[in-house]
Amino acid sequence: MASYTYTATPDQGAKAGVLAYLVVSAVVLLLMMLFGLLMRMEQAQFISIGGLWFYKLMTLHGAGMVGIVALAGASIMWHFLRQYVELTTSIFIANLVIFLIGVVMILASVLLGDFHAAWTFLFPLPGNSMGMWSQGAAALFMGGLLVIGVGFVLLHLDIARAIIKNYGGLGRGLGWPQLFGPDDGNAPPPAVVASTMVTIVNLIGLVVGASILIMMLVNLYVPTFEIDALLAKGMIYFFGHVFINAVIYMAVIAVYEILPRYTQRPWKSNKVFLASWTASTIMVMFIFPHHLLMDYAFPKWFLIMGHIIGYLNTFPILIVTGYGAMMIVYRSGIRWDMCSRLLFVSLFGWAVGAMPAFIDGTITVNYVMHNTLWVPGHFHTYLILGMVAMVFGFMYYLGKPDENAKDSPIDIAAFWGFVVGTMGFTMSFLYGGKEGAARRYAEHLPEWIPYDRLGSYFAALLIASVLVFIFRFLTRLGLAGRDYQRASLARSIAT
Amino acid sequence: MKRTSSPYAVRMGFGLGISYLFLATPMVRDWMEASMSRHMLVQMPLLVVIGIVACRLLPAHWQNSVLARVGGSIPCVVVALFASSYWMLPRALDAALNDPLAEMAKFLSLPLLVGFPLVLAWRRLTLIGRGFVWTNFISMLAVLGWLYIVAPVRVCNSYLVNDQETAGWYMVIASVLLFLWWLGTLLVGGGVGPDKPDRNGTGTKLA
Ligand code: HEM
Repeated sequence: MASYTYTATPDQGAKAGVLAYLVVSAVVLLLMMLFGLLMRMEQAQFISIGGLWFYKLMTLHGAGMVGIVALAGASIMWHFLRQYVELTTSIFIANLVIFLIGVVMILASVLLGDFHAAWTFLFPLPGNSMGMWSQGAAALFMGGLLVIGVGFVLLHLDIARAIIKNYGGLGRGLGWPQLFGPDDGNAPPPAVVASTMVTIVNLIGLVVGASILIMMLVNLYVPTFEIDALLAKGMIYFFGHVFINAVIYMAVIAVYEILPRYTQRPWKSNKVFLASWTASTIMVMFIFPHHLLMDYAFPKWFLIMGHIIGYLNTFPILIVTGYGAMMIVYRSGIRWDMCSRLLFVSLFGWAVGAMPAFIDGTITVNYVMHNTLWVPGHFHTYLILGMVAMVFGFMYYLGKPDENAKDSPIDIAAFWGFVVGTMGFTMSFLYGGKEGAARRYAEHLPEWIPYDRLGSYFAALLIASVLVFIFRFLTRLGLAGRDYQRASLARSIAT
Repeated sequence: MKRTSSPYAVRMGFGLGISYLFLATPMVRDWMEASMSRHMLVQMPLLVVIGIVACRLLPAHWQNSVLARVGGSIPCVVVALFASSYWMLPRALDAALNDPLAEMAKFLSLPLLVGFPLVLAWRRLTLIGRGFVWTNFISMLAVLGWLYIVAPVRVCNSYLVNDQETAGWYMVIASVLLFLWWLGTLLVGGGVGPDKPDRNGTGTKLA
């Protein structure tokens, strides 16, 4: 029978590579947030940067955010996974270097080449700029994405190698023997299960993404090689959606690994946990048609599949994780510090952020709501209050001076500023969407502007709070690499 | 590997030689090369397979010393990559049909410069190297197939447009199947080279 007792393991400090990832992530995150604020202020007519700059910033913000949260998520995954399997540091670093090369290409394409066709590079826009940007700029942007993709393929191959070496196959990494056979209690820990899932879906997503990118590059220079626009859209959304979804599945490892340390209750991979991760491994790949519900030219079964799987996939991991976290925390006398607070609120943010998508995934609603600000409302909630909160929680964990260190009032204020700022900011998107404000418009109708203004204030509050988080992390970098007990034991255990 | 000088290896080598000659007979060649799909997706892969099997029949220490002499696994992979890419070019197909020298080059280079070095390198590649070769090969196959499907012109003088399109579709389908198969091997574990749990790095597994 499975036994579920907690076995204490020491809190390990981060390797230099992980810290490098986190520092880059913090800086880029902040910069991209400022770009976001500029966009929101443009819509609110607080400033006037013009359409060209709005779309340049939007392209950078989209590509930059997706890339940087993937990088931050990868650092969390790598930090914890390394404690179970043998990962290759040089490949981890190579991914960072390759990433930065890709970033430079993208920056050059947008800032110097004026490319502004959004991070989704939807066919045939990049090749049809009507003189707004050159072929070279479009090629540089898509090339940059391709380069970043290659780095991640390498990283995932290394992870696959390490998991297979230790567990004997990715199926075992997902805990299939325990899922489909008797649960002997030896299922891989949650960090391994999650990393396996992410590795499988990202490898598939990246190969598809690379294929469409290369095709579009060929088409860019030899337009007579025509691409089926619908197929291109399907492939791009498959890749983009898998990749951005995988990000939160990497970051949630921080919750699985850190919360149990506070209450000394185990987070075991039981059958329900394993089943939900295996189910999501498959569903994550079939959920993307919920972005395509308005494309009536797609076959009907395809759209219905998107609808149904969209409904189904909202829940398994989210519920298992939310419920698991409750079980870890419930009546444990957990001590709330910045890390445990952020990790706990991240599950709230994830759950709340998933709901608008669930609603929008309904075909009849989708006809009205899609392409409104409702959609940015959804993903900003789960990404900022969910995924980014996990990253900051991890940073606070690494930098916590000692087990019983108290948080300063500034940090606590920043925590609430972050929560309130994010909720206000995302509600302004959601409400604007409900009122019919279109997504991706640089200029808004007068009726929409009050929401844009409110949104800008909340975004500024959110960014101010993030500044505190980042400043705190940077000043504690020296501690982050050392091994010592960080999690404060829950009252029920400590006393 | 003990079986190298065994009668088994000799018999295998004999069979291999016969198959090679069989492929080279004018009748078989004509039939295989009459269609683009058969030319690219049957004849050429078979030539590579012959190279692969032949290399595996050699004693392990031979393989090791050849590998050491040519500078390790990376040069081998690079040579295989370039040689195989060359034969994916439409021009190369045309040349093989029109010029006996090119045809001979094809019959020699596919086994010797693709199959052979791949086997040599495979023994030393971990999952990362092998995964790189596979993901690279699979996306190349898919993209090339796609290009053949949508190409606005006839890319080979010797084949018709519909033949080219069919070949393109077969390539795309093959790439999808290959990818699924490769992922399948990862899921159920097994062939991952020197890093396998039982450390059996003989390179006798494909994936
Ligand atoms: C202070 C924080 C942030 C602000 C002020 C902000 C602001 C914005 C604005 C104004 C837009 C354009 C909405 C539209 O009219 O369509 C946008 C789009 C977007 N944001 Fe953010 N954002 C923030 C944080 C984030 C984060 C943390 C992520 C990802 C992790 C993110 C990912 C995106 C993406 C993917 C888009 C879509 C771009 C597109 O439509 O092509 N944002 N953001």
